[in-house]
Amino acid sequence: MRFIIFRWMIYGGLALLGLSLFRTQVLQGAEYRRLGEQNRIRLIPLEAARGKVLDARGHALATNRISYNLIATPEDVTPEVFTRLSKILKIPEKEIRRRMSAPREYPFAPAMIQPDISRAIVFIVEELKPELPGVSVQVSGLRFYPYHTAASHLIGYIGKINPREYENLDRERFGMNSLLGRAGIEKIYDNALRGWRGGRQIEVDAKGNFVRVLSERRPEPGEDLVLTLDLELQEKIDAMIQGRHASVAVLDLQTEGIIALASSPAYDPNVFVSPGKSQERVALLQDKEAPMLDRGTGSAYPPGSVFKLVTALAALETGKITPNTRFKCTGGVRLGKRRFHCWLKEGHGSLNLYEAIERSCNTYFYQLGQRLSPDDIAHYARELGLGDVMKLEVTDMTPGLVPDRAWKRQRYREPWYAGETLSFAIGQSYLLTSPIQILRLSAIIANEGQRVEPRLVLNALKDEPKADGRPRVAIREENLKIIKKAMLNVVESDMGTGQFARVDFDKMAAKTGTAQAPPNQAHSWMTGFFPYDNPKIAFVAFVEHGGPGGITAAKLVTDTVKIWHELDARPRVA
Amino acid sequence: MRAPAWLKDTYWPFVAAIAGLLAISLLFVYSASHFDPGRYEVKQVFWIALACIVFLASSALGYRTFLGAAPFFYLIVAAALLFVLAAGRTTLGAQRWIQLGPLALQPSEFAKLALVLFLADFLGDRPIIEQEGKTLFQALLIVLIPLGLILKQPDLGTGMVVLAMMITILFMWGLRARFFIGALVTAAAAAPFLWTLLKSYQKKRILVFLDPGSDPLGAGYTAIQSKIAVGSGGFLGKGYLAGTQTQLQFVPEHHTDFIFCVFGEEWGFAGSLILLGLYTLLFSSAFRIIAATTDMKARLLGSGILAMLFMQVFVNIGMSVGLMPITGITLPLVSYGGSSMLSTAVALGLILSIYRERSIF
Repeated sequence: MRFIIFRWMIYGGLALLGLSLFRTQVLQGAEYRRLGEQNRIRLIPLEAARGKVLDARGHALATNRISYNLIATPEDVTPEVFTRLSKILKIPEKEIRRRMSAPREYPFAPAMIQPDISRAIVFIVEELKPELPGVSVQVSGLRFYPYHTAASHLIGYIGKINPREYENLDRERFGMNSLLGRAGIEKIYDNALRGWRGGRQIEVDAKGNFVRVLSERRPEPGEDLVLTLDLELQEKIDAMIQGRHASVAVLDLQTEGIIALASSPAYDPNVFVSPGKSQERVALLQDKEAPMLDRGTGSAYPPGSVFKLVTALAALETGKITPNTRFKCTGGVRLGKRRFHCWLKEGHGSLNLYEAIERSCNTYFYQLGQRLSPDDIAHYARELGLGDVMKLEVTDMTPGLVPDRAWKRQRYREPWYAGETLSFAIGQSYLLTSPIQILRLSAIIANEGQRVEPRLVLNALKDEPKADGRPRVAIREENLKIIKKAMLNVVESDMGTGQFARVDFDKMAAKTGTAQAPPNQAHSWMTGFFPYDNPKIAFVAFVEHGGPGGITAAKLVTDTVKIWHELDARPRVA
Repeated sequence: MRAPAWLKDTYWPFVAAIAGLLAISLLFVYSASHFDPGRYEVKQVFWIALACIVFLASSALGYRTFLGAAPFFYLIVAAALLFVLAAGRTTLGAQRWIQLGPLALQPSEFAKLALVLFLADFLGDRPIIEQEGKTLFQALLIVLIPLGLILKQPDLGTGMVVLAMMITILFMWGLRARFFIGALVTAAAAAPFLWTLLKSYQKKRILVFLDPGSDPLGAGYTAIQSKIAVGSGGFLGKGYLAGTQTQLQFVPEHHTDFIFCVFGEEWGFAGSLILLGLYTLLFSSAFRIIAATTDMKARLLGSGILAMLFMQVFVNIGMSVGLMPITGITLPLVSYGGSSMLSTAVALGLILSIYRERSIF
């Protein structure tokens, strides 16, 4: 019985298939043949508008402008069209043929002949339309970065998909000519900024002219992103460091948002998105000045005396010294056969920790280096966020390098030498840090030990726990307060190395650094926070081979803080 | 003069149907891909030759041997499915293949076979009268593990085939109607939950099946283009190698899952009748073989295999006429593809061996 049911269900299924085929092939055959014979269905992809990237005050850092593209459906094009287009566009006929035969996503998809044509050409093409079968003008959005070089390293740029990516990505969101984020925010937040593609199925007549829309799916635009950046501050800092190899960054201690992060030289991301700029693109990538490199986050340098803050904390925490421990500086120390110099040849005389930081005495820190192991120093450096990447939303971040005994054994197959600890203690030897890491170091000190996770995207800030719930570094608050006080003296004392950074409207705390980088001039550093009481911002200024930190970097710091102070008077945005 | 034993042991209508379908396969794999540098028709000759050997070997070995080894096959296939999920090759968002040198194997094709064997063996040993509920529960467990792995790949088409096979075997085993009704009610209740488990492209395909206009770019495009291809064939077709829709590559994967589009366009409704006729001959002779056996396991095995093959035919042809959603599934014995060809050959060899051992009491 069941066997018979099973049998007839299968025969029934086969009969159903037969009937459906009869309907499709015989009853509706003529209609399908009509649709099929002239290939009357065209698919027109509709690209979604990419989300904008805005600064904290609503300036559009990345947006879309209208562009007109000349497209053509190769199947509908007649031979005369090539000559006519060649004359209109002033490009060789051969090139037009090449573009016409470029690979496409599906048959009858339009080929891109010339993106971003002028309005004049649009009018000519529209006028000559009857003589240009298969050719049409498509209106689309083209990525545009209105402020050109401002924050270009952070915003990044977009570029065309490559065949390999096309194979592996979701076809619903990525087409053969899709653009995707290649660097910076454009890359990291590509998923949010990119919307969903739509499309339209249309019927055309035998000449390729539009008859009717068969079905349509509207594209969904991408989300807008708001950054923590303040464009006005950023642009003014950009102008300040123009022509140098430098980076300046400012962090809002309240929100932990980066309000400015400038790196010079910068590049104009429009070069990557505007059609016909391939030469500029190549030039940019080959430029010896490395304008593509974000010197604030993507490159690490010896920090020099800025690192003395870390060494001092290590010595305080391990109980090797108190703030009142005094050492005598006679212009250097001798270790074995080698003499380690203080920058002040005649020596600083007897100093306590406050004075040693204020005057940036090397000898004092050599003494600490003789009492600390390299692993101790490395431990506190790491605790303060050096030697590792952070969550900040930038591409190609460098972790820098915090050396220790194990690292040296592995890297050089050599033991760690005692002399290297002395260099390490003043921020030299193998140690490398990026300016953004030094900025975070200052921010943690300003916060008296509360960990800081710098952010660029404002939307992401909302999910973070409240500032007081954040974990702390494993360093005693009292010791951090000692360092803060010493940093105040660096700027406000008349013996301080950072006194050139002083501003007249409030007290500043900072530390300078002049990192040896032979055979060239030393790297110039300065980092700190402002104002000393209830700090609002942390900052870092770095100039590659810029000379003494107390001069070059201090000038950048004082200007930056002045600009910030002026802009702080603006009304708040909601 | 007495006929040799092998001649007597072969059920000729069954073999004739297979031969006819393979001939169509060769003709149309060539037609679908002769513009393609892949030389699929040459590879298909190789696969067909290998399939014939496998067919003869499995019918000679006999289904009892296979049933005995069923738990072993089951474990191997489950391991292969796990491996595919962990390290398989991903193509178009689905992870279905294991690369073995130049060969790409699709374990889910063999999983169907291992499952039908294991299930027939398991239920054949347990008469319906004893502990129906417990046995049913165990059988479901046997199916759900590989089925889950297949759906995870995701391979909705094979999942549907496995489900049809399971229902058929349980039905033939004699499971009472109340269980089927219960399952139906449960399925209806669980549907909203299952819906959330589907990948977005699977949901889209089902939605597009219900409303082809909702996705003109993706699955809706494939659906309408395959309909145009098949429909434009009309009654007599455009003639062999004269198809335009499929040759112009409006239809994707036209030598594998969408080979029926090429066939329907070039040979029309007349050709479709021939193809359906061949499948009808294949299924009806298989029914006759199954009806003649007295071995419960053989009957369950044969019915399971039949359900599997029928479901593939139904879904594959059905999707090109808008009867079924677009899903990746091969047309048995016709589509290009090694894994599918070999697993179908084994399945048919098993049915033939049921015929061969019909006289054993």
